[in-house]
Amino acid sequence: MSQATATRTLTFSQAIRQALHEEMERDERVFVWGEDVAVYGGIYGATAGLLERFGPRRVVDTPISEAMIVGGAVGAAITGLRPVAELQSSGYFGIAMDELYHKVARWRYMHGGVFTVPLVIRLPEGAKGAGPEHDVSPEALFLSASGAYIVIPSDPADALGLLKSSIRDDNPVLFFEHAGLYAVGGEVPSGDHLVPLGKAAVKRAGGDVTVIAWSRMVGESIRAADQLASEGIDVEVIDPRGLRPLDVDTILGSVAKTGRVVIAHEAPKTGGAGGEMAAIIAEEALEYLESPIIRVASADVPIPQSRYLQQYLIPTSASVMEAVRRLD
Amino acid sequence: MTAIDSRKLRELYESMVTMKLWDQTALRLLQEGRVLAGYHSGRGQEAIPAGGVAPLRRDDYLMYAHRGFGYTIAKGMSMAAMFGDLMANTAGATGGLGAGIPHFADPDLGILGQGGTLGSCFPIATGAAFSAKYRGTDQVVVCFFGDGTANRGSFHESVNAAAAWKLPVVWICENNGYAVSVPSSDAIAGRIVDRAAGYGMPGVRIDGMDVVEVYQTANEAVDRARAGEGPTLIEAMCHRFRGHYEGDPQVYRTEDDREQLRALDPITNAAARLVAAGELTEQQLEDLEIRIQRKVDEAVEEAASAPMPGPERLFEGLYV
Repeated sequence: MSQATATRTLTFSQAIRQALHEEMERDERVFVWGEDVAVYGGIYGATAGLLERFGPRRVVDTPISEAMIVGGAVGAAITGLRPVAELQSSGYFGIAMDELYHKVARWRYMHGGVFTVPLVIRLPEGAKGAGPEHDVSPEALFLSASGAYIVIPSDPADALGLLKSSIRDDNPVLFFEHAGLYAVGGEVPSGDHLVPLGKAAVKRAGGDVTVIAWSRMVGESIRAADQLASEGIDVEVIDPRGLRPLDVDTILGSVAKTGRVVIAHEAPKTGGAGGEMAAIIAEEALEYLESPIIRVASADVPIPQSRYLQQYLIPTSASVMEAVRRLD
Repeated sequence: MTAIDSRKLRELYESMVTMKLWDQTALRLLQEGRVLAGYHSGRGQEAIPAGGVAPLRRDDYLMYAHRGFGYTIAKGMSMAAMFGDLMANTAGATGGLGAGIPHFADPDLGILGQGGTLGSCFPIATGAAFSAKYRGTDQVVVCFFGDGTANRGSFHESVNAAAAWKLPVVWICENNGYAVSVPSSDAIAGRIVDRAAGYGMPGVRIDGMDVVEVYQTANEAVDRARAGEGPTLIEAMCHRFRGHYEGDPQVYRTEDDREQLRALDPITNAAARLVAAGELTEQQLEDLEIRIQRKVDEAVEEAASAPMPGPERLFEGLYV
């Protein structure tokens, strides 16, 4: 962990860029490729300035060829490089699913562990008004892709520290970034800020209710907790910072303390990772539960492009508050 | 076609004979119930892996196809390790995961492995070639695939990027006329080799049953790639003698069709050439087979003595 104490303010997008910059500076093997990542600087600006600093050899605009972007990253990773590939939208997962699910996650294992596959695939996700194929949050699809880590930051400090750790890790990492967070600012520690993978963050301590949330829903849950405090409900917000490795101990420790659980994510409820987490809690900590687990999630419909309709679909702090109040 | 020296032809011949005897031995093990996997025989197509891998250096990269184990034999992979993978025991390169549809690899030999989904070789080959160029080495990638695999969309994505970036990769298509059961004529528009023009790279269609022609063409393409002149597409026309997999009823072709193929055997033809040139006698050919068979049998023996993995094997090597 970083010993740094000084901080600075960065947006989430700047934090991603800072992580890439620092790791490319540190390690010649790290390179960035994807659609519009070089000259344009990424459609969310997350790779802006990298071309100017590191040149076209290490910052590469690819053709619109997602299977090649992801599979090519595997080929580069098993031959000595440390790629950071960007899928312009995580909604493109299906175009590269063979590469993401089988090659990224399994190349090492199925060849007997003779390779490491040290790569990061950056996957912007979440509702932003771009339509049902872009606005998805598909992280749960990869729960069964054992072999790949699933890392999801919720604020700029974690975006910086988790991306740096992901780039340094020898396991392949699917790194989900909520597009709605890119412009959000936050305090970021100075110095070489590393956040360990697989360690949950207690984003807000509390004793009555455990809210497990990730990505954009962490901020929503903290806002909900602040409101609920005025009603005398003391909410603990746990951010697992991703789905694998999963810090089960921190989650169960909080559940044992509060006995009440809300799980909040933006993906639709059915097939969302909340189901898996609820199952883990039911298997490991049922005796602590005072009330049924409640999941806060989008409804099981495709996400419309209309932001007007999205307001009725996408969960917010109000949805978390409503769920907490429903607990016994 | 310029002549190659007879020493090279002998090497290529020996390589093909090893592949054939490996194949026969694998089929025997399969019949004896000692193989815990499916197997796609490479009989009849030996000239392509032999001629296509021979130009490579030890540190060059290989993406191999699933037809026979000739590619990796030619690249120097341990035969005992490959038999171990067929038997799914701990002698295997995968340490007991099993790899009849091979998933073995050897980074020290540049053997980068194989996916089980056809066409997944293409992006990985492009990425490895990008890596070689990025690191400033003069390593070359050779990627083998069949005519059926050539129809995957990943072909376009990867071949286009490799050509656009002038990456050091040689694409070798083995066109044996059938994608499992579907004849090429029913499934492929135009000729695969002609796609090369669309990507602005050289394309060559050759007789894939002639090991000398395969070797010379591949050698030239590898030299081009190594010199930084970019990729080449080679379409090697060939015939597979057996079914797609062992047990394939082959309803899509007649017994007569298959019988006629025997005359095209790349190994017998190369042998005749060596004898005609006075390079080897019939007796020497026979001795060579006996010597290689002994090596293959020793590899089987070495592999067979290894234990099966325990359940803990399932959980090894998934994460670093």
